[in-house]
Amino acid sequence: MARRKKNNRKKRPIAVTVIAAAIVALFLIRLYQVFEPLIRQQIFQNGVAGPLFDGWRLTDLGRALLSSVTYFVLSATGIAVLIGFLRLRRWSWVLLMSWTGISLAITLVNYYYAQRLLGSQPNYAVMASNVIIAFALNMTEVQRIFGIRRDESVPSL
Amino acid sequence: MKVYRASDRPAAPATASDLELLRQFEPVAYFTNGEPFFPTDVDHYVRDCSLWEHYPDEHEKLLVKQGELTLEKLVEPRPAAFGTVRFLRFIENLSLTESAQVLADQARLRLKLRNYFHAGIGRLARGGFLPRLVDGLFSLSFLLRGRVSAATAAAAELDYYEMFKEEPKYVYYGRVTRQNGWTILQYWFFFCFNNWRSGFHGVNNHESDWEMITIYLYENGGQLIPEWVAYASHDFKGDDLRRRWDDHGELQINDECHPVIYAGAGSHASYFRPGEYQAEFNLPLPNWFSGLVRTWNKFWTETLGQPAGNPFRIPFVDFARGDGLRIGHGAPQSWSPVLIDESTAWVSQYRGLWGLFARDPISGENAPAGPMYNRDGTPRSSWYDPLGFAGLDKVPPPPQALELLKSNCDKVIQRQEELEQLILEKAVELQSLGIEMKGMEGNPHLAKQHAALEKTISALGAEVKGLRRERSENTALLQGLAQQRERMNAGEQDDPRAHIRHLAEPDKPTLAFRFDRAAETWAAISLSLLLFAIAGLIFLAPHYVWAGLTIIFLLFLVAESILRAAFVQTIARITLILAMIATLILFFHFWKWIIVGALLTTGAFLMFQRLRELTG
Repeated sequence: MARRKKNNRKKRPIAVTVIAAAIVALFLIRLYQVFEPLIRQQIFQNGVAGPLFDGWRLTDLGRALLSSVTYFVLSATGIAVLIGFLRLRRWSWVLLMSWTGISLAITLVNYYYAQRLLGSQPNYAVMASNVIIAFALNMTEVQRIFGIRRDESVPSL
Repeated sequence: MKVYRASDRPAAPATASDLELLRQFEPVAYFTNGEPFFPTDVDHYVRDCSLWEHYPDEHEKLLVKQGELTLEKLVEPRPAAFGTVRFLRFIENLSLTESAQVLADQARLRLKLRNYFHAGIGRLARGGFLPRLVDGLFSLSFLLRGRVSAATAAAAELDYYEMFKEEPKYVYYGRVTRQNGWTILQYWFFFCFNNWRSGFHGVNNHESDWEMITIYLYENGGQLIPEWVAYASHDFKGDDLRRRWDDHGELQINDECHPVIYAGAGSHASYFRPGEYQAEFNLPLPNWFSGLVRTWNKFWTETLGQPAGNPFRIPFVDFARGDGLRIGHGAPQSWSPVLIDESTAWVSQYRGLWGLFARDPISGENAPAGPMYNRDGTPRSSWYDPLGFAGLDKVPPPPQALELLKSNCDKVIQRQEELEQLILEKAVELQSLGIEMKGMEGNPHLAKQHAALEKTISALGAEVKGLRRERSENTALLQGLAQQRERMNAGEQDDPRAHIRHLAEPDKPTLAFRFDRAAETWAAISLSLLLFAIAGLIFLAPHYVWAGLTIIFLLFLVAESILRAAFVQTIARITLILAMIATLILFFHFWKWIIVGALLTTGAFLMFQRLRELTG
């Protein structure tokens, strides 16, 4: 009787799937942020019909394009991280944790100033996704599977 | 004196005098290069001191002038009001000019003696950024509390040098006492000054310093054999202080009889192995704040699975390199021993401090009291309970251990026999009552008796169960005792470090940061840079102070982590803290939705479980 081959692949914890889902959710939010300024400026109907710079300053159209390109780069990075993450690569964990940290810091600063100074609402969806990703990345089994935690002493800060 | 051997240990005849015993096992002390103070005699020191009293209303009174004080005058009875602190003063108050003069003279003396100290990678680079921040506040606290200045330390160094030139000798004060079958040799060392802070970047400076090590011997066949050695040290107490004589990995013995002490530079704390030790100083925090820190630490480590850390613990390095002066058997310098006990007047009758009372509320800069007393005049435990001091009060001397073990076995065996008999009797009684109760069933007029009997049976059943449990536990205990007895009969010894819970470990010699020099420079300047950055922020962007502070603090932590090769862990910790803040914000704004979501999820989960059970 043929024996079943032992599966040597690392088993993917449920938290990894949750994080992947959160990355996809963030990707969709970013994707919306790519298209929203372009739609607002009616670029799909009229094309880039106008100057991007007014002297040294960006015009509204220029700002919309810059914002769109920035969010596109972020979305593309998100996809790269997602692929690395699903393949359980250490670099993707480090990149994602750093990214989440920076994003959380910006979101928190934005939360404080958006309400106090600008009177607008901060992006709670991004905040919630980041929180889920941060806690999931911190789980012991996730850190082990990515080779982050090796139960050795860590210098204190 | 001839050494008699029992097995692989040196031994001394039980009839040897106290001084002979002390001499036979006297330690060898290895100091660190740069150490200016060595064990000296109290007689000469006291003659160079004045005697003072500090009163609760904060004024001070000179009792005996410098040059007139002797050990006899020191112990003269002097009634004093409650709250009075009596203290010696080795160095009188220095003016600004005198301070500059002694500091210059100290530099010249060190140059002449070629007695230098190089810290290497300093303590600041070994600790993290947060402890360094707290350390900055600790340094500032010296502006508010009493302190012993570097100039005082310099003057003490010069005075000690002159004292030593007059009477060049290295002294230990030896005490021999006997308790619970142990013969205890205590070696007390007196230093004129502790210059750990000003000389070696440590925690404190204080006039005078008392250090002590203890050797524990047991008697076997008329011979006294060493079994344990305990060194008093920072941060450690009880069992952690002692090492077994045959633990050669931890305890270095010169010429088979003389344990080696590696003395901390400036602090004079005793270590078993050479190296640089991280001593930690716990900031005295209010109880409510300590409780909050404990709760946070529990949540941080147990719930979030993060490594433990305490930013309110400041790391200091105690340099016990052993590359300096050596005193004792086989070393270039030898000891001058002096016997002391309770009948030595200055030991038992002077309860004051042996140096300046600096009015430091946390006592770090106040001088210590003598060998027999604590700073507040209460008896010192290492003097009245030398066994308990090193956790040996529960340990019998080896020859008695076997007898005690046998006696314990006999007691347990006897109790087992009693239990067998008792269980048999009670079990029969229980069965008899059981059948009696059975006979009552179906007779309503016996309801009362039935209920009473049921109670009796229940109590008796519990008693039998307890006896059977005791018998079972005793069987396991007997097995353990028998195994221990076999091991002892075969001459096998336990792990010599089984009793140690926290082992003092020197920093690894290979301890290196990613960029040694950069890490050290960063450690030295980072705190000041942080303050400059905050000042700049307040001046340039006053509306964004909190956001700016957060970002600056995070940037400093990240820079630190890169230098300490802990970037990944740091990023994880920072992100986690930010995530917790974000969670609180989300809960604050969406608590209704979060509760509703949790209820719906729990309901759906329970329904799924029950339906799965229902449908098989």
